[in-house]
Amino acid sequence: MGLKKLADAPALRLIEGREHERDLPGLIAQLSEADAAVRRWAARDLAALPGAVPALAARLSDEPDPSVRSALFNSLARLGGDSVVTSLLPLLRSEDPGLRNGAIEVLSGLPDAVAPHIEALLHDADSDVRIFTVNLLGDLRHARVADWLAQVLLNDPAVNVVGSALEVLAEVGTPDSLPALRSAAQRFSDDAFIVFAIDFATERIGKS
Amino acid sequence: MKAAALLAPPAITDADFRKFAEYFYRKTGIHFDESKRYFVDKRLIERIESTGAENFRAWFVALRFEADGAEMQHLVNIMTVNETYFFRESYQFDCLVNNMLDEIAARKHPGSRIRIWSVPSSTGEEPFSIAIYLLERWAKIEQYDVEILSSDIDTTVLKAAQRGIYSQRSIAHLPAPYLKKYFTAHGDNEWRISRDLVDSVEFSRVNLSDPADTRRFRDIDVIFCRNLLIYFDDLSRRVAAEAMFDSMSPGGFMCLGHSESMSRMSSLYTVRRFPDAMVYQKPLEA
Amino acid sequence: MHRILVIDDAATVRMYHRKILGDAGWHTDEALNGVEALEHVHAQEDDAVFDLYVVDVNMPRMDGYSFVRELRKLDARHQAPVVMVSTEAKSQDAAAAFDAGANCYLVKPAQPLALVLSAALLLGDRQAALKAASGVKS
Repeated sequence: MGLKKLADAPALRLIEGREHERDLPGLIAQLSEADAAVRRWAARDLAALPGAVPALAARLSDEPDPSVRSALFNSLARLGGDSVVTSLLPLLRSEDPGLRNGAIEVLSGLPDAVAPHIEALLHDADSDVRIFTVNLLGDLRHARVADWLAQVLLNDPAVNVVGSALEVLAEVGTPDSLPALRSAAQRFSDDAFIVFAIDFATERIGKS
Repeated sequence: MKAAALLAPPAITDADFRKFAEYFYRKTGIHFDESKRYFVDKRLIERIESTGAENFRAWFVALRFEADGAEMQHLVNIMTVNETYFFRESYQFDCLVNNMLDEIAARKHPGSRIRIWSVPSSTGEEPFSIAIYLLERWAKIEQYDVEILSSDIDTTVLKAAQRGIYSQRSIAHLPAPYLKKYFTAHGDNEWRISRDLVDSVEFSRVNLSDPADTRRFRDIDVIFCRNLLIYFDDLSRRVAAEAMFDSMSPGGFMCLGHSESMSRMSSLYTVRRFPDAMVYQKPLEA
Repeated sequence: MHRILVIDDAATVRMYHRKILGDAGWHTDEALNGVEALEHVHAQEDDAVFDLYVVDVNMPRMDGYSFVRELRKLDARHQAPVVMVSTEAKSQDAAAAFDAGANCYLVKPAQPLALVLSAALLLGDRQAALKAASGVKS
């Protein structure tokens, strides 16, 4: 007993033979196995196979295990690209906060693929979808983020969408954003939080 | 020939500092308050000059928007202390022998195996510190078969760890009796750790982002992953946290560096508070 | 002195709520998602546990409902009333909040008076409730 000496037996066993298939159809089939560990490994292995995007995305809504979900999202993030974006956008409407947040996290890491969809999302009839889109912009590395947010301040009718946009603008706003801030101040002049948030964002943006 | 122009270093205003502090806290969980101005301003200026940015604003825009996110990694590196030495952040080792191992052992039959994974191994100070703690400070060490696994992506440091030679600085926090018991003097001012201890750690080269590497690790009861994930980009961090979660036995424990937090990485782990430390736990199966 | 933990992913909202609650005379701390909030909860020494939680529903990593459910599993000393703050005004969301273990539900942006009164009532702070209700501005 005590500290096991290296010579006794190696702790790390190299897995030579594979119990399960590593090809695309085989791995996709494993996404529905009863054993969560099998599903998790399949989700992880599929990160290397671009053809896996539809299957990975489809599995998300049915997957009850958080660690498998996490592996599905991470693999989609690693695969990236337009098909990942289009398959995850519907999750912005999900009632499940885990699915929604997981989708937002992946989408915010795919700036070029997500950019063509932003304007439509910011005009969605559902104010929650517009809020989640603004949340996504909070981590998006794209040159147009400040512009998109300015549009929200100028046009969005919903106070909480504007509030979320102000949060992000405090970080990414420039002096070019100031006119939009002034416009929002006029539109929501009787809301104490919005007034506070505008003052804060204006102070953070500072002079040029 | 252009005369070298001596430019005044860029100024960091109060507003700049707050902007940096808020962003850094949001991304890493690390707070810098006014008392750290000198420390922070100096390093911000270094990053601004290093990247050739005109001023703080321009540098911050690059930090926030550049596609590869490399500047964030440079920034985290410069804002955190990266030293390794024996018994660093030892309160977590106290927690290991005072609480974590007892809980784990309670779920196992005497004689069974307990696995501890230390990653990154760096030059070995952490896994060897764990070994010393187990031998000296865990009452039940003789009742269980404890394996210490330790990994790093860098084969140079792995070789150094297996060589086991350390500087005065590295052993400075070791109680004298342990130094005497487990080390011999080496040359003028270095120390060589005992071969028995080196043999008790299984070293391996591992890239935490590579499933082929991490899949070999199974049934891990305790992971020390200190001051590593904070240097990863957002996605790699999530991938690594998830891979390590998968390698753990249910009920296993994870220790991050004292200024790191799962709140920026993963919601899979449960928070556990012990008298010596706060750690994370993989839930026991329902 | 009562201690309140303000939990919201937006720094501006945290600042706003902390100002309102601080002006009413209470000590505040903050966290930006449910995981960080649980870490703060666990980090509190016995003589400094939180007396009230003001929790945003929609946060990344761990949302407000999940935080409250996890909170309610902890020791008695961590239990305290929860005010949930949400952009939703639908009745099923208030129901979800109560099912998770919250005590009170406010719709964002929270009106300062509503926030202070809810907090004062849940804290049993009569003085603060009277002061807020009498419309004395801080």
